[in-house]
Order: sequence, then structure tokens, then C-alpha cells
Amino acid sequence: MSKIISISPFNRVEGDLKIKVKIEDGRVADARASGTMFRGFEQILKGHFPEDAIIYTPRICGICSISHSIASSNALAAISEAFVPSKNGQLAKNISHATENAMSHITQFYVYFAPDLLNHKHAHLKYYPFVEKRLAQLKGESAKIVITERKRFLEILGLIGGKWPHTLAIQPGGITKSLGSSDIFRIHGILKQFSSVVESVLLGMPAEDYLKIRSVSDFDSAFSGDGNPASDLGLFYRFADEAGLITMGKGPGRFISGGCYPEADGTPYIPSGYLNGKASNISMEKITESIHYSFFDAPKSSSNPAFDTSLPKWDKPNAYSWAKAPRYNGEVVEVGAIARQLISGDPLIADFFSMYGSTVFTRVLARLHEAVKLLQKMSGWIEQLDANESYFVRNTLKERTSGIGITEAARGILGHWISVDDGRITNYQVITPTGWNASPRDENETPGALEQALINTTIEDEGNPVEIDHIIRSYDPCLVCTVH
Amino acid sequence: MKNLLCLHGLGCGGDTISLLNAEEPDLLTALEMLDINVAWHPSLSLEKGDDVKQICADFASGKRSLDLFIVEGAVPTGPDGSGRIYEFLDRPFLEWVRELAAVAEYTIAVGTCASSGGISAASPNPAGASGLQFMQDKTGGILGESYRSKSGFPVINIPGCPSHPDWILESLYLITQGKLLPEQLDYANRPAHFFNNLAHHACPRNEFYEFKASAEEFGQMGCLFEHLGCRGTQCESDCNIRLWLGRTGSCTRAGFPCTSCTSQNFPLPDINYFKTVTIAGIPKTLPKDVPKAWYIGMAGLAKMATPERLKTNAVSAHNKYRGKGEGQ
Repeated sequence: MSKIISISPFNRVEGDLKIKVKIEDGRVADARASGTMFRGFEQILKGHFPEDAIIYTPRICGICSISHSIASSNALAAISEAFVPSKNGQLAKNISHATENAMSHITQFYVYFAPDLLNHKHAHLKYYPFVEKRLAQLKGESAKIVITERKRFLEILGLIGGKWPHTLAIQPGGITKSLGSSDIFRIHGILKQFSSVVESVLLGMPAEDYLKIRSVSDFDSAFSGDGNPASDLGLFYRFADEAGLITMGKGPGRFISGGCYPEADGTPYIPSGYLNGKASNISMEKITESIHYSFFDAPKSSSNPAFDTSLPKWDKPNAYSWAKAPRYNGEVVEVGAIARQLISGDPLIADFFSMYGSTVFTRVLARLHEAVKLLQKMSGWIEQLDANESYFVRNTLKERTSGIGITEAARGILGHWISVDDGRITNYQVITPTGWNASPRDENETPGALEQALINTTIEDEGNPVEIDHIIRSYDPCLVCTVH
Repeated sequence: MKNLLCLHGLGCGGDTISLLNAEEPDLLTALEMLDINVAWHPSLSLEKGDDVKQICADFASGKRSLDLFIVEGAVPTGPDGSGRIYEFLDRPFLEWVRELAAVAEYTIAVGTCASSGGISAASPNPAGASGLQFMQDKTGGILGESYRSKSGFPVINIPGCPSHPDWILESLYLITQGKLLPEQLDYANRPAHFFNNLAHHACPRNEFYEFKASAEEFGQMGCLFEHLGCRGTQCESDCNIRLWLGRTGSCTRAGFPCTSCTSQNFPLPDINYFKTVTIAGIPKTLPKDVPKAWYIGMAGLAKMATPERLKTNAVSAHNKYRGKGEGQ
């Protein structure tokens, strides 16, 4: 018995995703993830002033536009003469970047991920009524609170960046706004208010206590018990256990992080690295993109982005995605909060990973856990801001050179590769997080991370394959980024 | 109940993200207040795949009435006008938009991409993207100059990159209450009362502008027009009056130049947006409707009269001047 299920458009993800799975004997035998939309930023950017990359690239994505600003400003910093950052500017960049990432994680859980828990397949589960009461889409008690509070939290971006998405405040040498003491006071206050909401609604305990939980068994005892749990995280944990989400959707088990949030001494708060059993340094030369199954044409089927000359070819035979297939050292890797937390050596996420692997639950937990940690971290950065010091240092771009700007967007490593000649962009390549996670197959026929996570999943009811929804949204895909 | 259908073409999804920031009223209150039923929205709805096809097909066939048809993002026509570069529900997205626009009571383009092509249609426009009824400042787009929705209106454009949530919700308010009149649309078919101001209006740097006390670098208080590329005096929007994100900010308040993202020709080709192009010291692009000779005369006079306070503060991060004024 075999059945093909094709879902397009796949909703509640950013952008246009098409999923095609082949089900044999109640099990996913094959899966294909396609990005179905194309704009051509890499062609559009050619010939522009390099400074204007900061205008164009944030517009790749409405949900992680600051991450693109950071990657782009890092790329411009890399092509500057003896680059000098502003200390204040770097702190303000970290604060805005962390605001975007923490907000993204929390919104994704409540608005995009949780609604699937209310699928009728789960209606018989013990915690279903509580989930319905608190997490129903746009209606649940917690969901409504979070939708309102996320906006208030984003006022931090109004104070630093003027508007969001698509602020231009983030520049290579710092930010364009000189935050005064009134701004700093308000930013700190907004953070405090939002942190309190996260504590009462998501955690059900002070963040300080939550962050003392360092193992699966501690987590289990903190969130065990009967009846209506005191927190959405606890509720989700118990529901996930009952619904089988803790072991569902295993990824490839290899991870990369590009690192982000440089501290005053330049060391990133989230380190970069490659993890395959053990952690090692990441090397940009080992990144390649395959276009074998993508709607692009190039002399070679795989190349490093610095030398990518591929051009769109919409009718390429056998191609099935506008996404290219990035590989690290030729291998499929997973990116995102789980990659960052594992590479940072977070004990709780490491313990969950060693027990269950990278699964629907561990991916979602890693995002929420990271959001809580970021809110704590931001407070320290705000305290270091100095209203009497400058926020911007002018740097001069080289006329003819190339450089790489790497950071971590909410969904994982984000890279911008730039080449300039005679003061104009000659090549600009972008590899986005969902490019890594939702990539098509490469020339060796190896499926991408999300495709691998779907393959072998047991589908209980072919007429209602909600397992596919859980797995896909556990990756928090952003297709507008992917198919730039 | 008015049925609303929203489709996303070539764009970043940023207008929806911006819409989620709506307040006074917030999005959910506004939908309730305006009695709008969201039949389908790519980011907010539960339906996917074939169910979406059914919803769109029911609207296209007239089985359900499509009161409000919103498109966010540009519509690709490539290759060769076929639109096949972007397939949606097994057909070119272009065909769906034309078919649904034909039955819609009102067709609304949200964001600069849907309105006039925007970033998604920037040169060399690899996807052959276009706005619904404009391609930059040329009328036509994918629906043609003569297109009128069933209400008799052309496509109502609510540009901005992103569009302000107030602009979107207030337009829906006017439309659903029958209070939007054809003469309230401007030359770009935008509801004029949002777009007949300038981003310059209520900019806190206005006194610096008046006396030509200009910032020389980012992070300084002075006007951004003379050196740093600001287009706020040309940009038709009320950003600095209305403000963004809980009324906390705007582009110029955050210290970077307005790029005039509500303009039909955004983004301009071959321009360094962060630098003012000057000819003999005079900005090449002058404030809207201001004659060149007049500008030169006024700017010259203003510079002769610039108070010390503004000269000092213009190039400072915060008010640095400590002098006492007359009458104190």
C-alpha cells in the first residue's frame, strides 16, 4: 500500500512551502520539501553600492529582518579597512538582535506550532482540554496574552530601530541612534515587563529558578504532577509525552552554529562550531551549496558561495525546489536554537538530546529555553550601555575585495558572502537557516534535514497526517528567507 | 460578515508581521469590530493544501462572495508573461490573482511590492514581478489600467515597506463602513489621508532642517537631508506623525534616512541611499514642490542665521548646548 500526500501551500510557516510525502504501510517512505517562490536577490544586488545591501537584504525576510541587517553589516565590516566597532553600538545591536530572536521563538510556539496540538487526532488525550483552554490559536488564554505582550516587547525595536521589520539602524560601525538615558530606562522597563509575562505564562516560576533546571530528571520533577499545570511549558511537556512528540521527527544529529552576540572583548555569547558527536571549530571553506535538484543552472553542481555563479532556470528537469542544498563538509546538518544550545554546552538541552536526539519536542524546548536565557542576558547588555558615549564609528569600505558576514537568525546560521569591485557589488550570496534545514537533495541523493526527519515517521491516520505538521513546524521553517 | 482572503505573492511577509503589531485597536479586536471573517490567511489560518484550493475555488466560482481580496507581495509574470515561475495550488499564482480580482468586491494591495513591484521587482527583475495595477509609476500592472473591482474601485494601494498596521486596518474600516469615496484616493490609488503628508512632518529634526543645521554622521541630532540621504521631505507618508511600534519610533527618529519606501519607484536604481547626491553643494533631489531657486535662496539665508545652539547640537549625540536664551 502506498500513497502520495502533497501539501501546498503549507500554512503557518513563513513563506511558501510544498511538502510531498510517500506513505508506505503507515510509514513515511520518502519526503520532498520544496520552496516554491523566487525573487532573485542575488541577481538584484549586483551592481549596487555595497552600503545598500543593508537596504535590500533585510527585505529578504519580514520575520528575521534584523538578523539579515546583522549579517549584512558583518559582511560590510569584513570588507572595511581595519574595522573598528563601537562598543555601545555592538551592545545595542545585540539587544535588538536578541529581541527579534526571543520574540520569534515565543511567537512561533503560540501562533504557528501550538495550534496543531488541537488536531482532532489528539482529542482523547488527558491534557487536551487544558491545551484547548490555553493554547487555542489566537483564542486561548495564554495565546491572547502573548499576542498582546509580544507587541509591547517589540517597542524595544521601536526605540532602537524606529520601526520593525526593516529598520536601517543597524550599520557596520554600530547603530544610527544615540540612545539617551530615557531610551535606556524604557528599554530596560519593557524587558522587565515582558520577562514577567514569560515567567507567569510560559514558565510558571521565576526565570532564575527555571534556569537552575539542568537535567531531564530535574525538568521532569519540576513539571510533573496531575491536573492543570502551572505553566504552558509544563503543559506542553506532558502533552508532548502523551502524544509521542518527545521521540518524533529525528534529525540528522549533526549541527552547526555561526555564533552571534559579540561581547565587549569580541567573544560571541553564542559560540560558533560544528557538532558531530564532539564539537569542533567551523570553517567557512567547508560550506558548499548543491543545485542538483534546485531550479538553478551552473557549470558545477556544487560550489562554495564565494564562487557561486548559478542563475535561475525555472524549467530545469528533475529540479523540485527554489532552495539550494547547503552542506557542511559534504554533510547534511541541522541548524537553529537546538544547534546553538548544544554547541554552547547548555546542560539541559544536552541532556534531552543525549536521551532522545533532535526531535519535535527537543527542538521546540531548545527555542523556548533559549528565549528565557536571552531575556536574562539582555538585561546585562542594557546595563552596560553608556548614554554619554557614541554608538557609531565610521569605517571605510575597501574598493575591491570580498568578505563574509555570519550570524545566527532565530532559525539558525545566516551567511552573507559579498564581493566588490570598483566600489560596487559584483557577487552577493546568501545562505539562510531554513536553506540548511529544508534543503532538497544534493547530487549524492542525500535528503535535507527536514526530509530526513520526516522519513520513517509512523503516520497513524493517512487521512489526517498531523505528524507531518508537528515535524515541519518543529523546524520553524522560513521559506521567504530560503528562496530569496 | 465580510469575507477576507489574503494571498502572499513575492515578498517577505513583512506586512503581515507589521499587521500583528497593530494596536488601538489590535488586530483581533479590529476584525471583530469590522465584522470581518478571515476566510484564509497564509500565516494565521488552520487550513492547508487542498482545503485552501477549495476556499479559493469557491470564491472564484462565485459560490461565496469575496468582499475583501488582499494581496501582499508582487505578482511574478515570468517566464514570458506566463507566471509559471510561481505555482500556487497547481496553477500560476498570476492566474489566481486575476481570477479572484475579477470577482472581488474590493481588491487591496498591501505593501509596496503588491502596490507597485517594490523590492521584489527591482532591476533586473529576475522573476518578472509586478504590482497589481502599477509597475513602479506606470499604470497597468498585472490587472491592467482599466481594472475595477465589483465596487467600481481600482486596486486600493496601501504601500510601505512594511505598511503601517494603522494604514491597513483603517483602510479596511473605511471600506467596510462604505466610507471610502473614489475621490479620497490619490494619484497612486492610495487612501490620501495617510499619504498626503510627508514623512518630514513632525520629524523632531525639523528645527535643524529649517536652519540647515545638518548631521554629518550617524548618531548626531541634526537634519539628515543635506548629507545623509534623507528623503523624508519627498516621502508621502505620515510616519513621524503616526509613529511605529507602540508609537515609539520612526526612521528619522532612529537616526537613519527615510528611503521613501511608500513611493511607487522604491527602490530607486543606482543610488547610495545613505549619502545625499549634491551638485555644487545643492542636493540633487529637493523637497517636494520646492522650486530650486527658492531652495537655494532660503537655504543660504537659513545658514547665515543658524543659532549656535543648533550648530552645536546638530553634530552632537544629545543636546549639548548649555547657553541661556533671551527671555529666560
